[in-house]
Amino acid sequence: MASGAANLLFVAPAVALFGGFVLFPLASAVYYAFTVWNGFSPPQWVGFANFQRAFADLTHLFAYVHVTLYILGTLVFEVAFGLMMAVLLNSDRRGFGVMRGMFFSPMVLSMTAAGVLWAFVLDYRTGLLNATLRAIGLDAFAQPWLSQSSTALFAIMIVSGWKFSGLYMVIFFAALRRIPRSIYEAARLDGAGPFAQFFSITLPLLRQNLLVCILLAVTGGFAGFDLFFILTNGGPFGATEVPATWIIKQAFDQNQLGYGTALTVILAVVVMSVAIAYLHFSERAHVTRY
Amino acid sequence: MSHATERRRTPGEWLQLAVAATVVLAMFYPTVWMVLSAFKSNREIFAAPFGLPMDWRWENFAEAWEVGGLGELYLNSVIVTGTAVVICVGFATAAAFAFTRLEFPGRRALYRIMLIGLLLPPPVVAIPLFSLLRDLNLLNTLWALILPGAAWSLSLTVFLMSSYFNSVRPDMEEAALLDGANIWQIFLTVSVPMVWPAMLTMVILNTINIWNELIFALLFITDEDKRTLPVGLVRFYGYHSTDYALVFAALTITTIPILALYFLLQRHVIAGLTATAME
Repeated sequence: MASGAANLLFVAPAVALFGGFVLFPLASAVYYAFTVWNGFSPPQWVGFANFQRAFADLTHLFAYVHVTLYILGTLVFEVAFGLMMAVLLNSDRRGFGVMRGMFFSPMVLSMTAAGVLWAFVLDYRTGLLNATLRAIGLDAFAQPWLSQSSTALFAIMIVSGWKFSGLYMVIFFAALRRIPRSIYEAARLDGAGPFAQFFSITLPLLRQNLLVCILLAVTGGFAGFDLFFILTNGGPFGATEVPATWIIKQAFDQNQLGYGTALTVILAVVVMSVAIAYLHFSERAHVTRY
Repeated sequence: MSHATERRRTPGEWLQLAVAATVVLAMFYPTVWMVLSAFKSNREIFAAPFGLPMDWRWENFAEAWEVGGLGELYLNSVIVTGTAVVICVGFATAAAFAFTRLEFPGRRALYRIMLIGLLLPPPVVAIPLFSLLRDLNLLNTLWALILPGAAWSLSLTVFLMSSYFNSVRPDMEEAALLDGANIWQIFLTVSVPMVWPAMLTMVILNTINIWNELIFALLFITDEDKRTLPVGLVRFYGYHSTDYALVFAALTITTIPILALYFLLQRHVIAGLTATAME
């Protein structure tokens, strides 16, 4: 429409706020990452020492193992489960609209509320899960889900699935609605059963949505903090320590803000490289396919 | 549903209904359990975890409200969320208007820079943000949550508002320009009413995100009377983790209004929360 520097006034407030509270801290993070700094006395330049320490810090390395397992878990319990429920809840019949609404509802709860609620659900003595297992005669399966290393990470994946699968269900459901019914009818006439229809029609047509959902789950998973903080805070014995919880502990419990910042820089680089590699790879796969 | 078909269900549809209903009810049960337990005494929660309360102890809620200082937490959350959302959506709409409708030096570069936040998880700048807020003397004030909250929501909001502007042809704005209106008049009287539905979706999306924000609220606020709901709830759980009835009552008070609002405005809320993935 019009042109000129006066138009900058429209973007100035957003750019100023973004510059001050996103870009400036980001730039200073890169500087602090190369310093030893307790938050009170001025930071002292130490070169790559923090990064050398980070790659020798076993808890930090294991945090990436845990978060990778967690992300794989969320791909199953959030994305795949959400897709399954979208297919299952895709019907105009009475009651299905209400069921979709109920299935999505954990999404609007805060992470805190969901976390505290599930701390009670998973409690060994009085939790809902163990009470249900005991009520149906499966006493042997009742266990202290969050306080033993072998099940804690798995339990958090389940909570995450409960909280977020509704999001993926709604995304896939909206996409399913755009697939013309005539395709399914033609397939049915050719003798394709429900599973053949799912794998040869639904899944290929949802490919683009699936790629977006996987990207959301992966980038969101790396930054996962809230549920871990509330349910286990990294425990028991570090079994659920993930990058975000470890960073906060180093920086704010140990007052090692320089080291903590170096860990955040590593996290940012990891998340961005995975996202960019994933986008690059999925675009290439798309090209070779057609 | 109004357009529910009324022909008889096939066996396959009965199976679909049975499986779907089982899963959905199992998923919804923890929420129901939370509300029912909020009315029970601690002894009853342990002795009879299933089923309705023997007598409905409404006094649990009054106690939780009093003990947890929930009124103050609610007020702080409302102030932080309301202010941050107005700032973020207002700034982002003006910026998206300029990025898609106007020409100015550095337009493309600035737009790209604004989108950096899309891939960055907020914990990444928590530490430098902490020292910045301390230098500005904003730690332990609600501004320590409002300004970073609004700034971190800008990337997504600018991106989604810009794609909404791009999906609407600039015909009306051009007509207003021919009629002699200046850019500010066009923005306020033509563009804003035109993109109002998208702004509403952004308000819902950002309200939910900022209302639920935990990590900044945990690090930047230490005074008890400045806390927001999520942190207040975590602390409350920490102090009273053995008083189940009290924690359930607090959980119920803080989640039921949001759930009720959701079931009322379901369509808009879902549109807001899925806007990221749909674009």
